[in-house]
Amino acid sequence: MRPAAQAQKVMRLTKPTLFTNIPVTCEDRDLPGDLFNQLMKDDPSTVNGAETLMLGEMLTLPQNFGNIFLGETFSSYISVHNDSNQIVKDILVKADLQTSSQRLNLSASNATVAELKSDCCIDDVIHHEVKEIGTHILVCAVSYTTQSGEKMYFRKFFKFQVLKPLDVKTKFYNAETDEVFLEAQIQNITTSPMFMEKVSLEPSMMYNVVELNTVKQAGEGMSTFGSRTYLQPMDTRQYLYCLKPKQEFAEKAGIIKGVTVIGKLDIVWKTNLGERGRLQTSQLQRMAPGYGDVRLSLEAIPDTVNLEEPFHITCKITNCSERTMDLVLEMCNTNSIHWCGVSGRQLGKLNPSSSLYLALTLLSSVQGLQSVSGLRLTDTFLKRTYEYDDIAQVCVVSSTIQVES
Amino acid sequence: MSGEKMEHVDGSDQNIKEESLTGEVKGRNVIQHVAQEEQGQLLFHEETIDLGGDEFESEENETVSEDSNNFIDKLNEHMMESVIISDSPNNSEDDVGELGCLQDIVEPTEDKSDHNLEQMLDKEEMVTLSNDSETDHDDTPKDISDMTSDSRASLKEELTQEETKDEPMFGNEGTIDSALSDDKTNPEEQMSEISSSQSSKDDAVPVCTIFSQSNQANSQPQLFLHDGFEPQMVKSPSFSSASETSAKTPPQVVQPSPSLSKFFGDTVNTNSLASDFFDSFTTSTFISVSNPNAGTSVPEKLSSLSTPVGESSPDSADPSYSMGIERSESGVSTASLEASQSPKPFSQIQAVFASSDDPFATALNMSEIDRRNDAWLPSEDTRNVLISVATQQYSAVFIDKENLTMPGLKFDNIQGDAVKDLMLRFLGEQAASKRQVLNANSVEQSFVGLKQLINSKNWRAAVDLCGRLLTAHGQGYGKSGLPTSHTTDSLQLWFVRLALLVKLSLFQNAEVEFEPFGNLDQPDLYYEYYPHVYPGRRGSMVPFSMRILHAELQQYLGNPQESLDRLHSMKTICSKILRNLEQGLAEDGSMSNITQENRNASVQLWRSRLGRVMYSMANCLLMMKDYVLAVDAYHSVIKYYPEQEPQLLSGIGRIFLQIGDIKMAEKYFQDVERVSQKLDGLQNKIMVLMNRAFLHLGQNNFAEAHKFFTEILRIEPTNAVANNNAAVCLLYLGKLKDSLRQLEGMVQQDPKHYLHESVLFNLTTMYELESSRSMQKKQSLLEAVAVKEGDSFNTQCLKLG
Repeated sequence: MRPAAQAQKVMRLTKPTLFTNIPVTCEDRDLPGDLFNQLMKDDPSTVNGAETLMLGEMLTLPQNFGNIFLGETFSSYISVHNDSNQIVKDILVKADLQTSSQRLNLSASNATVAELKSDCCIDDVIHHEVKEIGTHILVCAVSYTTQSGEKMYFRKFFKFQVLKPLDVKTKFYNAETDEVFLEAQIQNITTSPMFMEKVSLEPSMMYNVVELNTVKQAGEGMSTFGSRTYLQPMDTRQYLYCLKPKQEFAEKAGIIKGVTVIGKLDIVWKTNLGERGRLQTSQLQRMAPGYGDVRLSLEAIPDTVNLEEPFHITCKITNCSERTMDLVLEMCNTNSIHWCGVSGRQLGKLNPSSSLYLALTLLSSVQGLQSVSGLRLTDTFLKRTYEYDDIAQVCVVSSTIQVES
Repeated sequence: MSGEKMEHVDGSDQNIKEESLTGEVKGRNVIQHVAQEEQGQLLFHEETIDLGGDEFESEENETVSEDSNNFIDKLNEHMMESVIISDSPNNSEDDVGELGCLQDIVEPTEDKSDHNLEQMLDKEEMVTLSNDSETDHDDTPKDISDMTSDSRASLKEELTQEETKDEPMFGNEGTIDSALSDDKTNPEEQMSEISSSQSSKDDAVPVCTIFSQSNQANSQPQLFLHDGFEPQMVKSPSFSSASETSAKTPPQVVQPSPSLSKFFGDTVNTNSLASDFFDSFTTSTFISVSNPNAGTSVPEKLSSLSTPVGESSPDSADPSYSMGIERSESGVSTASLEASQSPKPFSQIQAVFASSDDPFATALNMSEIDRRNDAWLPSEDTRNVLISVATQQYSAVFIDKENLTMPGLKFDNIQGDAVKDLMLRFLGEQAASKRQVLNANSVEQSFVGLKQLINSKNWRAAVDLCGRLLTAHGQGYGKSGLPTSHTTDSLQLWFVRLALLVKLSLFQNAEVEFEPFGNLDQPDLYYEYYPHVYPGRRGSMVPFSMRILHAELQQYLGNPQESLDRLHSMKTICSKILRNLEQGLAEDGSMSNITQENRNASVQLWRSRLGRVMYSMANCLLMMKDYVLAVDAYHSVIKYYPEQEPQLLSGIGRIFLQIGDIKMAEKYFQDVERVSQKLDGLQNKIMVLMNRAFLHLGQNNFAEAHKFFTEILRIEPTNAVANNNAAVCLLYLGKLKDSLRQLEGMVQQDPKHYLHESVLFNLTTMYELESSRSMQKKQSLLEAVAVKEGDSFNTQCLKLG
């Protein structure tokens, strides 16, 4: 007499699909009369009253394993069926998932089932949010005791690959102000359309974020992506965000320097019948532009000026170092730019993280686009000189042309 | 200054960053640990799990390509394939005898068991190979005892597929036993066996067309390409019916069948037989069913049938006749020979009705309904030809061969009965002999018989009968490219034949036979081309539905863009006709005085036709997965079919659900509820409940969805969709047995309606999940199908392999 036979089956539960039919219609005067239409009416998979509609209402079970992507939930039906005609006892079904880095227990319960009658089964539906790319192995182990007291044990291994669903590329733009713009391209590299339910930037503690992916239209926010809410395979979408340093950090200039953490993108998508996936990027980092010890930024400058006519600019000088500075301003003329006023004047002491505003006058002797250069700041404490060239550009036009203010 | 860099999504989990090497080692450790913990004697399996990186890479690529291309292989793979297996030798999951044998060998000494394992390793790999055509030969030792029962079952199936006369069980045991026992040659032997059966499987198993709208985006077009041809290949050599046709096995290659070549052979000698055949059924039948206002059309049609004959036509001005003469060098020999053999009754009738200038007949022909229905706007070139035919009635009009429509059957005998073939394979000859379906021989050789076949869902036989009737009309096998003439009935027959081919998903076949019709605008497809046969009648002989079919066919062949182009030009003509009607003209733009009543009827007809075109466009866009345009198109369909608004809005909602846009779906479902509030009735109530269920499905709430499907069943217990969907929900809730009970109950309750392929597919899928004895249960489904279904049944859903 052979020992009791147990069958263990595993089926991945992706979402069911809607059945589609092939509508073939005819008119009353055609040879088949209303036959074709009647056949379609009788077909339970067509939509009652709108038989020509291709997309039916009948659900069909998944017909293959399909693809599984990082961030999706792997669901599986595990069924252990007693194929023998004997009762078996103490059945324990265990489902583990082996990834390249860890082994997880997925079984809902690890309790032993006391007995399993012939032709009965133990069912379990397991769920696991996939967090790793690459080979996964589902290990299903069943142990039980036959009627004759023999202890039986067997395992089955199911291997599958987890693929990457999205490709994300980012690009940072530093504005002249402290703002940072983040451009993120998200590409669907799966083979099915993907509805982007949520793409948001979770900023790090230093920043506030403004999403620039809607346009105000008639008081309503319209998505820049239009009515197309989904990404076809290989489609890419570009998201834009503006990050502003929070007040407390913005004031303390110098804190945001070097490599800073901007935040991370949180992406939630859905596919067939609401199959959900979610991913977060790792922390996005950017190299903050280095300002050195003293930062000179422009607060105001005209874009177009007349040839050989003085114009004014306003500079902001910020002490980004951690010590107090005593600054002297020198203004050096270049081929085209001529500074008006006294060079070598004392600006006084400047405390760390504080700034002062400076109004300067200059003129250009050459037409065309001219670069404003030639400012020198010297810290008398350390005898260190900081040079500022190419601060900004102005368009210089002949004075016979009236410059509109 | 802008820092540019690429970031790849790593997932939130830091673990991934680990080197793959360490990951592997770690993995092994885990396994080892577990193995030791569980059973000491498993030690030699410890090295089995290999998550090596290289292997993974190649496999990843494979997976992708497989999924887009190799749908056939994937068909039976909803069951997870069991791959690497290392088991306790004590394991005895299977009920087949050879396991005992395995244990005996394995247990005595470890040396020996190792040796055996190696052999089994080979074997197991081969099984894997045959199962999913994966080609990586990883070093993973595999154990025979771990073959999933699926793979074992499929092995068994494959073995039975071979032409061996052995009892399947016996053959199976034999091979496995020998493979297990000792020598080295056996694995190879089996390898060859398996691979051969694999290839035959590839040939023989057509794509199961019902699942065409499956989830994979890319697979769609190929999918249709796949299933376009293959189903008709399913042939049993032993197909037998009353006809002589079956005496020979219809080969897979399309060629004239013996039966019809009898009537229409390559040699001229057989023509005498052709006339026999012709007489045998045409004399009694040819009743016009297509024309309700038929009084006149019967004789007229009869006369037209013999127009190519020429000899009987009193005046040689008949265009088709003169054309036949014109190209005497090209196949006029057969044509004229055929003409001389033309059956008597028709010539006689022709003589009687030849005086076609009878004004009375003219008046009858130009009836309101004819004009309204047949109206079509020919292209400029075609119109010129038609005008010259009309104006030069008594001089021959020479027309290029390219401008003529010369259809002919391109294949024969696709009929057959896959259900019976399966019965022969699985249930034996005796059971198979009980299977009774109508075939082309068992019905009246007429439109009546044709309708009977269609109605009883014997579409393959109906395709055949259409072929015979067309053969009688001179458009049979091999007649493509030969001059012929067309009648209302011949075109209707073509329409029915092609429509049925599409219904059977034999798209390639339909395409081949559609080809001679061009764009359905050739001059000889217009009534004006036959002034003597259809005096005074105007418009196109091509049924409007055939134009729709012609346009839609392309999308099933993977050219949705071509479908859209054709539909757009149809839309243009429909709109033009409607404009003509609005401007007080006739449909074709000519001056005419139509009564207001008739004008309204015509506007109504053409609006609904325009709506039908829009419907096809929307369906086509949906297939192209251009959801935005598809939704727009469905919206515009509502304008033409306002009574379908709730259904269409629900459909749009389901489209959004499919994309994953649950919010939009909800919005549309709410619209449906708003619209159907005004309407009363059961159907609307069901629709609202159905939508709510779907919405819960989209929110992953299967329990709630099940509640709503069940609610529908309370209102309408026989609702097939709700029944099926409720069962599907139960499965996702982990209630396999309940789910099975529900589906089985439904199928038993009303097999006539519920033996639908989608339902059966679900049922067989669950059988496979339930136990290793799914084969028996599938076979009993086959028996049920055999009683109720005609030869058009798609046996793929039974997954009997």
